[in-house]
Amino acid sequence: MGWEEKQVRGYPEFVQTAQRYHGRPIFALFCGDKDAAGKSWCPDCVTAEPVVRKELHNMPDESVFIYCLVGDRTYWKDPNNEFRKNLKLTGVPTLLKYGTPQKLVEEECFKAELVRMLFTED
Amino acid sequence: QEAAKYEKKVMVLDFVVPTPLGNSWGLGGTCVNVGCIPKKLMHQAALLGQALQDSRKYGWQFTEQVKHNWMTMTESVQNHIGSLNWGYRVSLREKNVTYENAYGEFVGPHTVKARNKRGVEKLYTAERFLIATGERPRYLGIPGDKEYCISSDDLFSLPYCPGKTLVVGASYVALECAGLLAGLGLHVTVMVRSILLRGFDQDIANKIGEYMEEHGISFIREFVPIKVEQIEKGTPGRLKVTARSTTGNQIIEGEYNTVLLAIGRDACTRKIGLDKVGVKINEKTGKIPVNDEEQTNVPYIYAVGDILQDKLELTPVAIQAGRLLVQRLYGGATNKCDYVNVPTTVFTPLEYGACGYSEETAVEKFGEENIEVYHSHFWPLEWTVPSRDNNKCYAKIICNIRDNERVIGFHVLGPSAGEITQGFAAAMKCGLTKEQLDSTIGIHPVCAEV
Repeated sequence: MGWEEKQVRGYPEFVQTAQRYHGRPIFALFCGDKDAAGKSWCPDCVTAEPVVRKELHNMPDESVFIYCLVGDRTYWKDPNNEFRKNLKLTGVPTLLKYGTPQKLVEEECFKAELVRMLFTED
Repeated sequence: QEAAKYEKKVMVLDFVVPTPLGNSWGLGGTCVNVGCIPKKLMHQAALLGQALQDSRKYGWQFTEQVKHNWMTMTESVQNHIGSLNWGYRVSLREKNVTYENAYGEFVGPHTVKARNKRGVEKLYTAERFLIATGERPRYLGIPGDKEYCISSDDLFSLPYCPGKTLVVGASYVALECAGLLAGLGLHVTVMVRSILLRGFDQDIANKIGEYMEEHGISFIREFVPIKVEQIEKGTPGRLKVTARSTTGNQIIEGEYNTVLLAIGRDACTRKIGLDKVGVKINEKTGKIPVNDEEQTNVPYIYAVGDILQDKLELTPVAIQAGRLLVQRLYGGATNKCDYVNVPTTVFTPLEYGACGYSEETAVEKFGEENIEVYHSHFWPLEWTVPSRDNNKCYAKIICNIRDNERVIGFHVLGPSAGEITQGFAAAMKCGLTKEQLDSTIGIHPVCAEV
């Protein structure tokens, strides 16, 4: 069957989508919002996204890849935002395997090898 | 990781042979997965239970009875361990260390065969090899042991509360596990063949035993189990244990939900092909003798950690030995690992920190007339308000009269013993004498000032 991608924005939408696919491997990439020209306020996210996309074919069959925009810069900087509080995210970009402690943060997302390891790890 | 710093091409082969009950775990070795880390976290869970009880006397008011949920604790602990396993994977990858989750064994000179869990085999050659395969829990060799008993390999990820537990053994693993299980509110019995904490200061070992007994842990002394049978399946089930006295023919029986074996650990050196490359091991214990540079009798094969003969079985010792070895091999350093005055702590309900000689060993080595022992009971200030034991905490130092009253043994029994001991270990490495200790002004009010 391969894998499929879902694009969401904001915390409630993320949780709803993750719950809908409970039982399948779920990988999520969290990035800062993009402007009208499609560019994110987060420069590291701009670097990481193509690296991650190139490795998506390594995800196991039936996987769901959730591409989640977290919000604008002000929202992200707030230490009490829901992503920080509930998902324990510490930075963007973050790439994680939902429901496990496996994640890559910031510059770790630039490394194709690490991304591949996250997608293929048992 | 250290070798990779020196631009060497490095590979790690790590594989966990599942326990008899099918348990396995991730990268990191015993300490991270089924040793120090989960042990300390669960010990902390037990201490927090005690703190909740004490808190009422300090004015905290809550009416509900506080209960413990085993599954919640285990899930948190396993989550943390999972993040450590992952952290190591990322770390190795970032430093360009190749990692294979495969069982390694020597098949010929400079050659190792790696078999992964799907049975796929690959061969690898290398200039040098480092063996750090550690140990696994020993089983009793009696009917029912592998089918019905668990070990520390299974305890920290047990998917159900163990219930009424019999701990077999008197090692620090046995006593720490017994202590934390009792601290979580479970009914615990410890079956001991002879003495407690062999190799540790016996005066202190007995105090630890007494404390545990006074706090609800039963001890059955001078008995060994001869049979374990299942009365009822379940999570947990019910087991019947039959035991024989070591001093006569008396037989006793007992019923428990769980039997935890902690009677010792055996080195994992028998099935890794050491004979194919000529590495000598101690046939009786399985341990590998090495010179003071961690080299085996085969010059290109080294070993560190619990598998070494006559060396301390502690995580930090293995790590230090490994790092220094690599620095000597590839960094031109000459420092050897110092195995003397290594501090340790036993995390029994009353914690025990030690560094240097036990009283018995000091007397044996230096002679009773050359040793002076200074000791004292103390009552931690924090224990006064909730009226906890006032004469159980204890500290003792052993001095060599012939050598300026140098402190050669340090022992402390009380809360946060590990934290206290670390500092004194550094002082002992500098050659601390009794006079220097006396002239150091104490911090007040803390236990360590004694």
